[in-house]
Amino acid sequence: MRKKIIEMRGIVKTYYQGTPNELEILHGIDLDVYEGEFLSIVGASGSGKSTLMNILGALDRPTKGHYYLDHLPMENVKDDGLSQIRNKKIGFVFQTFNLIPRSTALKNVALPMLYGGVPRSERSRRAADLLQLVEMSGRSHHRPNELSGGQKQRVAIARAMANDPAIILADEPTGALDSHTGRLVMDIFHRLHQEQGKTIILITHNAELAEETERTIRLRDGSIVDNRKNNQYQLGGYYESV
Amino acid sequence: MNLFENIRLALEGLRANKMRALLTMLGIIIGIASVMAISTLGSAMTGSVTKTMDKIGGKNIMVSLSPKNYDTQSTLQEDDLITQEELDAFRNTYADQIKAISFSTGMGSGRLNSGFIHKDVSITGASPDYGLVNNVNLVQGRFISNRDMDGNRNVIIIDTTLRNNLVGVDGDVIGKEVQVDTKSTNETYTVIGVYEKMVIDNPLFYMGDDTRVECFIPITTAKSLNPDTANTVGYESFTIMATSNTDSAAFAQTTKDYFIKGMSPLSDYTIEAQSLEAIASEATGMLGTLSLGISVIAGISLLVGGIGVMNIMLVSVTERTKEIGIRKALGARNSAIRSQFIIEAMIICLIGGIIGVGLGSVLGITGSTLMKFPSTPPIGPMIIALCFSMAIGVFFGFYPANKAAKLDPIDALRYE
Repeated sequence: MRKKIIEMRGIVKTYYQGTPNELEILHGIDLDVYEGEFLSIVGASGSGKSTLMNILGALDRPTKGHYYLDHLPMENVKDDGLSQIRNKKIGFVFQTFNLIPRSTALKNVALPMLYGGVPRSERSRRAADLLQLVEMSGRSHHRPNELSGGQKQRVAIARAMANDPAIILADEPTGALDSHTGRLVMDIFHRLHQEQGKTIILITHNAELAEETERTIRLRDGSIVDNRKNNQYQLGGYYESV
Repeated sequence: MNLFENIRLALEGLRANKMRALLTMLGIIIGIASVMAISTLGSAMTGSVTKTMDKIGGKNIMVSLSPKNYDTQSTLQEDDLITQEELDAFRNTYADQIKAISFSTGMGSGRLNSGFIHKDVSITGASPDYGLVNNVNLVQGRFISNRDMDGNRNVIIIDTTLRNNLVGVDGDVIGKEVQVDTKSTNETYTVIGVYEKMVIDNPLFYMGDDTRVECFIPITTAKSLNPDTANTVGYESFTIMATSNTDSAAFAQTTKDYFIKGMSPLSDYTIEAQSLEAIASEATGMLGTLSLGISVIAGISLLVGGIGVMNIMLVSVTERTKEIGIRKALGARNSAIRSQFIIEAMIICLIGGIIGVGLGSVLGITGSTLMKFPSTPPIGPMIIALCFSMAIGVFFGFYPANKAAKLDPIDALRYE
């Protein structure tokens, strides 16, 4: 039995609480994610995907329910504590890359380490290693506007890996890319998953991409409606699908 | 996140918007530059006042009898005059604080004639110590002696220009007889000395161009020639030269108290004693008030500059909302965001301050050189100006930085 890295019990998220237009987005989510798992969360827009991702990513707090990340209870964690969890435990990959425009690829990758208190020389060394991992060594001193979409996303993945997080949270990582580049980015996730044993949570509305992962969670109107292993998934199988 | 990381981040931020940063700095630059220029000028003026005071006798205390009430007709009585005996007693009492005492009396203007040469002069009756007390720079011959005094001799000290007129630059004028007409006298004097006129090139001490040459004769001679004073034995006024370690302002008060005790309470007259130092400090005090006033105006410009910094920081925070969101998602604490923006504001102000100090110093030096008392910018105000500019950065940067720190990461990430 693999170790649980995420445990969610009865997560409820309500907006505008206590006002007439109170809105419950998540209606009691139970979710377990195991270490080294490649999980996808799918759902149409408005299904509560983003809200769930924000809670998973420690950007937001649930209104009700319990959330353990790496066995750490997330209730009663103060803002600074959440910052620290985001910094150490979570690697974000966004649809729109979200790189700092005026910093080079290398500095972007080093940024989480800066906030994590890693010394400067160590930061540069590790950032360079990570850029090599995503095959971006040659462009480490380029700024985001000098990179293509796929390249930007690879830099963003390297940045997500910076502090060796417990989970990588990828929110529509191929959404802004053409299918070929999207494929390359997905390959990197598979590689990280298989070669490095990373726990990856992919949030997408693309059913095909979801099929590539080990397990898919389907959200509808704020509840989990489906939770199944993907038959297609097998180790190394993604190489054939290219 | 240490300070250097923050400074590096802030500089990166500023480099991205050089023009804007420079324009923002302008307010600070103007404010700091004016403060620096004013304080440089102020210290130059104060310095020059002190220097000039030293030249004309900064330690001098002028003592005179003056009417208690200027409205009524006051008459100076023979008893009111300060006698030589009183002076000697005073001098003995305060021997360690008095270097010299001199007397002088103006005899008004006259005309000096020698052969075909006629020159307008003013005649001053002086005591032997007058030369020392008033820094008379004797270049030839001697000053008035006690014997000249005792004998009411007709001897005269002239200045170099007059000598040059009479006998030429290289000529020997000592022993030459000149004739001087004043309103009531017509006497012949023997030249015993030549002095060089003191040049005061301080525009603050400009007292009009007196082209008349001042000539000195023994005060006893001067008194004997004046029918009003010929038979009196006391003095109406004198100048005390205090020793260099004496507080001349305090000693002026001591002197006044001393002589008032000796005066009849019924007299229409009283004693006034004033030290040149006190007059000078009054003058420098006035300069200080003036520069304080200008500094207040400069301070207002700094305030406006600070508001400019705050404004641009607010724009910057709004503009970089998304970046702030990214940083927060990557684990930046609120305090890290806050210090990043505060330090950015501080650096804008500090760079502005440094440019302002440089510019102000150049202006101050140029100004003071043009006004003929060159000076170097004072270090104290320079440091204060730099610290103050940083303080403005912190003060006006805090609100925008706090706003940035408090942004919700989800909203900030969503911001386009």
